[in-house]
Amino acid sequence: MTSWGPLFQLGGVAPRPRWSLRLVSAAALAVGLIGVLIFQLARLDVTDGPQLAALARANSIRHVVLEADRGIIYDRHGAPLVANSPEWNLTVIPAGMRSSELAELSSLVGVPEQTMAAQVLAARDGYASLTLKTNLTEAEELAVSERLPDLPGVYIAQHAIRTYVDPLVFGHVLGYVGPIAAPELKRLEAEGYQPNETVGKVGVEAGLESFLRGSDGWADEEVDARGQVVNVIAMHPPTPGDAVFLTIDAALQRATAASLAAGLARDGKTAGASVVVDPRTGEVLAMVSLPGYDTNLFTHGISQADYSRLLNDPNKPLLNRAIAGQYAPGSTFKMVTATAGLQEGKITAQTLLNCPPYLDVNGWIYHNWASYSLGYMNVAKALATSCDTFFYQVAAMVGDVTLAKYARAYGFGTAKDIELPGVMPGLVPDRIWKQLQCGVPDLNSDACRWNEGDTITFGIGQSYLLTTPLNQAVYVAALANGGHVLKPTLVASVHDIAGRSVLKSQTVVTDTVPASAANIMAVREGMREEINRPYNMNYWFRAAGVPADGGGKTGTAQWGGSGLDLPTHAWFVFFAPYAQPEISLSVFVERGELSEVEAAPIGVDIMKFYRANLGTIRP
Amino acid sequence: MILRLDRRQPMLAALLAVVGVMTMFSAGADWLRQIVWIALGAAAYVAATIYDYRRLRPLAPALYAVMLVLLLAVHLVGHAALGARRWLSVAGFPLEPSELSKLLLVIVLAAYLTRDERITWRGFTGALGLVAAPAALVLVQPDLGTTIVLLAVALGMLFIAGARPAQLGAVVTAGVVAIPILPHLLHGYQRRRLEIFLDPTQDPLGAGYNLLQARIAVGSGGLFGRGWLHGLQGQLGFVPERTTDFVFATYAEQFGLLGGVLLLAVFGLLLLRLLRTASVAPDRFGELLAGGVFAMVLVQVVENVGMNIGLLPIAGIPLPLISYGGSATITTLAALGLVQSVMVRRRHVVFQERPIPLLGTIRRRAQA
Repeated sequence: MTSWGPLFQLGGVAPRPRWSLRLVSAAALAVGLIGVLIFQLARLDVTDGPQLAALARANSIRHVVLEADRGIIYDRHGAPLVANSPEWNLTVIPAGMRSSELAELSSLVGVPEQTMAAQVLAARDGYASLTLKTNLTEAEELAVSERLPDLPGVYIAQHAIRTYVDPLVFGHVLGYVGPIAAPELKRLEAEGYQPNETVGKVGVEAGLESFLRGSDGWADEEVDARGQVVNVIAMHPPTPGDAVFLTIDAALQRATAASLAAGLARDGKTAGASVVVDPRTGEVLAMVSLPGYDTNLFTHGISQADYSRLLNDPNKPLLNRAIAGQYAPGSTFKMVTATAGLQEGKITAQTLLNCPPYLDVNGWIYHNWASYSLGYMNVAKALATSCDTFFYQVAAMVGDVTLAKYARAYGFGTAKDIELPGVMPGLVPDRIWKQLQCGVPDLNSDACRWNEGDTITFGIGQSYLLTTPLNQAVYVAALANGGHVLKPTLVASVHDIAGRSVLKSQTVVTDTVPASAANIMAVREGMREEINRPYNMNYWFRAAGVPADGGGKTGTAQWGGSGLDLPTHAWFVFFAPYAQPEISLSVFVERGELSEVEAAPIGVDIMKFYRANLGTIRP
Repeated sequence: MILRLDRRQPMLAALLAVVGVMTMFSAGADWLRQIVWIALGAAAYVAATIYDYRRLRPLAPALYAVMLVLLLAVHLVGHAALGARRWLSVAGFPLEPSELSKLLLVIVLAAYLTRDERITWRGFTGALGLVAAPAALVLVQPDLGTTIVLLAVALGMLFIAGARPAQLGAVVTAGVVAIPILPHLLHGYQRRRLEIFLDPTQDPLGAGYNLLQARIAVGSGGLFGRGWLHGLQGQLGFVPERTTDFVFATYAEQFGLLGGVLLLAVFGLLLLRLLRTASVAPDRFGELLAGGVFAMVLVQVVENVGMNIGLLPIAGIPLPLISYGGSATITTLAALGLVQSVMVRRRHVVFQERPIPLLGTIRRRAQA
C-alpha cells in the first residue's frame, strides 16, 4: 500500500511553485491575521501592561492585615474586666470568586444568597477582603473550612472580639467597641484606621482608644487561585494594645452597683447613679449608672430589635448618668452657699439666723421644707437641718454673682476631664445665661431678667443649677480634703506589652476653693452634724453598724419647673472618715422623693462594704 | 539520492510541540502524558507521510460516514465534562471526535471539491451541505469552537478551490443576516460568552473572569515576560483552563511580548510552508488538502490567541500543538503528515532543461 519511491528524489528538479492568486491571498490573509494578533498583543503588553501587571500582583499577592490584640482593661488590683475571645468570620475576596460560589456559601452559613450578592456588588474594591458573615458557629466554621479548597477567593478570618465581665456593672465605665463609622473614619483615617476596623465607641474603650488599639501588622502573602498561601513575602508583626489598669476596685464597683440596685428596688425607682472618689487623689474607685446594659451585645453584633429596645427604653439604659446625667443638686449645694457666706464675711460660724417656715421676698413666698419655725441657728445647724430659709437669706446677702463664683470654684458647671467621652458639665447659671435662654424679642422682658427669686433659690441648689453625680463626688471630695478640686481619673496606669509604664495617674488639683481652712471646717462641721443628729440620717448608720464618722448631706431637688409639688430627685453626698477622709461618694436616685430614706441608705451601704473590705480595697 | 521531504515544516511543528511541553511543565500539568501524545502524533505523522494521500480520495464518502457516526456516537454513548458531551471511550482511551472531524472534513471537502475545476453554485451549495451536518452535530454537543473551525475550514477551502466572489459573498451575507438569529440558536452559556465578550465588565467574577484573568496574565508578561517557570497567574492557577483554551496566556505571561511574537511567527512560517505545499501539489486534491490543513491551523491559531488577548469571544478551541490534549495533538500532527505526503509526491521533472547556471546563481543569491 505504501510507496516509498516518492520520498526520495532520484533526479531532476522541482518545478517552480505555482503560486496562484488564491494561494497568494491566502498567504496574505494568514500574515495579516497574525499581524493583527501581534498588534493587539503588543498593545496589551506595552500599553496596558503596567496596569495589568498591577492587577496580576493584586491577584496573587494578598495583603493581609494582622490584627493587633486590643489592650486588656484591668481593675486597680489587676483583675481583668474584658477578654479578647476568638471569633471566626467568613471573608471573601470578590475578584477571586466564581459567581456560583455564593449559592454554596449561602447553604453553608445560612445567609440568603441575595444578601451576600448585594454585599459583593457594593464592594468598592474587588481585591479587598470583604466580610460576609461574622461570628460563625463552630459547625459553620467546620463546614466552610472543609469546602475551602473548592471555594477560591473564600477564606475564614479569625479575629478577637471583646467579651466584657459583668457588663451590667462595668458597662458604663468600660463602654464597648464597634465597627468604625464613616464620620469616625474620616476623622481617624490620618491615624491609619481602616474601613473595617473596630474602634472604642463609648466608655474607657473610647477614652483610651489610642492606648488600647495597638498597631496592626501586615503580611504580603503569595496565594494561589484557591486562596492557599504559597509563600509569605514580607511581614510586619502587630503590636498589641497597652494594658490599662483602672482606678476602679472591682469588688467595690460590684458592691456599689448592688447597693444602688437594692436601694432603687426598695423604693420602686428605676434609675440612679453613684460615684466613689478618693478625696486625696481624685481616683474614681467606683462609678455606677443604673440601669446598665449588656455591652457584649454590641461587640457580638447587636440585633436591630435589641438596639431599638435599648434606644426606646424610657429608663435610658444607654445614658451614663454618672457623667452625663444633669440634675439640680438641691440641698447638697448648701455647702457652697455656706462657704460663700462665711468667706465673704456675710456670716460667721456663730452667726444665728432665723429659720422661719417661709420667706417673703418682694411679695413672693419662698417656703422651707418644714411648715413650722425651726428657730435661730448657726450655719452648722442650718446645714444639719437643711434649713432652706436660712440659706435663702445667705444667698440674698452674698448675691448671685458671688454664689456662681463659689459654685464654679467647687467644680460646678465644668465637664470633668476624665478618661471618658460624653462628660457633661452641668450648669452654673448667671444673668446673661438666663437672658440668652429667652428668644431675642423677649430678651429684656421681666420674665427673662434675673430676679431676686433666682438668687434665693440658687442658694439651695435650685434655680437653674445643674450638676452630675461625678461633679458631686468631686465637690464632696473637695470638702473632704479641705478645698482642693481634683481632676477625677479612672486610669491608675497604662503598661505596654513589654511591661513598661506608659502612663501613670497623677493627682492634679484643678481648682482650689478660695476659702480659709477654718471656714471650710465650719461647713464640714455642719455635714458631720447632719449624719450625727439623733434622728433620721443617723438611723441608717446605726442600722448598718457603720460608725457615723464623716460628713454628709442629703438633697431632694425639685425639677421640671417652679412651684409646689414638683417631681424631685434624691441626692446624698458623703465623705469619711471625718479627720482624714479617704473616701467620698455621691448617690443619685432619679425621681427619688425623700433623700434621707432613699439616697442616704445606699451611701451608707457602700460605706459599710468599704469599711468591711478595707484590707482588700486598700492593701 | 535526496530526501524529498519539506524539512522545515516538521521542524517548525517540533518547535511548537516543545514550547507546548515547556508551558505544560510550567503550569504543573501532566506534561509527560502530553509527550506521549506527541510521540503518538509523530507516529501518525510518519505514517501519513508514507501513505499516498491520493488513496484517500476514493475513501472520502466512507470517511464522511465515519465522521458522522462518531459525532452521533458522542451523543449516544459519549462522556460529559464541563457541561458538554464531547468524549468517546475507545479501547480505554478518551477520544474527542470533534477534533478528528476537523481533519476528516478537510479530506472529504478536498475530495468533493476536486471533482470540478470550477465551483458551480450547485457544487458550492453541495459543499455547504456537506459541512452543515457535522457542524450541526458539533454545535449541539455543545461545542461552539469546533463548529466555528469547521465552518471556517469549509470557507477557506472553497476560497482556495476557486469559489466565485459572489458565492463567498452570499455566505458572508447569510452570516450577517444570521447574527440577529444566532443568539436564539446558541446555548445559554454560549450566548453569555458572546455578551461577556461584548462587555466584559458585566460579570467580572463569573463568565468574565476567564477573559479578565487571561488578559491580566498576558498583559503582566510585559515585553520580555516573567521568565519560564516564573509566571504568577498561570502557575498559581488564576488563569482558567491554563493548559488548554488559555494556554497562550500562560505562555505569554512567562515569555512576554517577545515570546508571543516569536510563537506567532513560528505559526506564520508553518502556515506559509503549508501553502507552499499547496502550490507544488501534483494534483488539485493535494492542493486542497494542504489548503484545508492551512485553513484548519490558521483559524485555530487566530481564534485561540484572539480570545486569549481579548480580541475574540471565548470559544473552546485548542492552540494547535501547544494546548494539552491527545485528540487535538494527534489530529494536528496527522494532518501535517498528510501535507508532507503531498509534498513528497510533488511534481518533479526528471529531464528538465537546466537553467542557465549564471542566472541560477544570481537567483539563489537574491533568495539568500
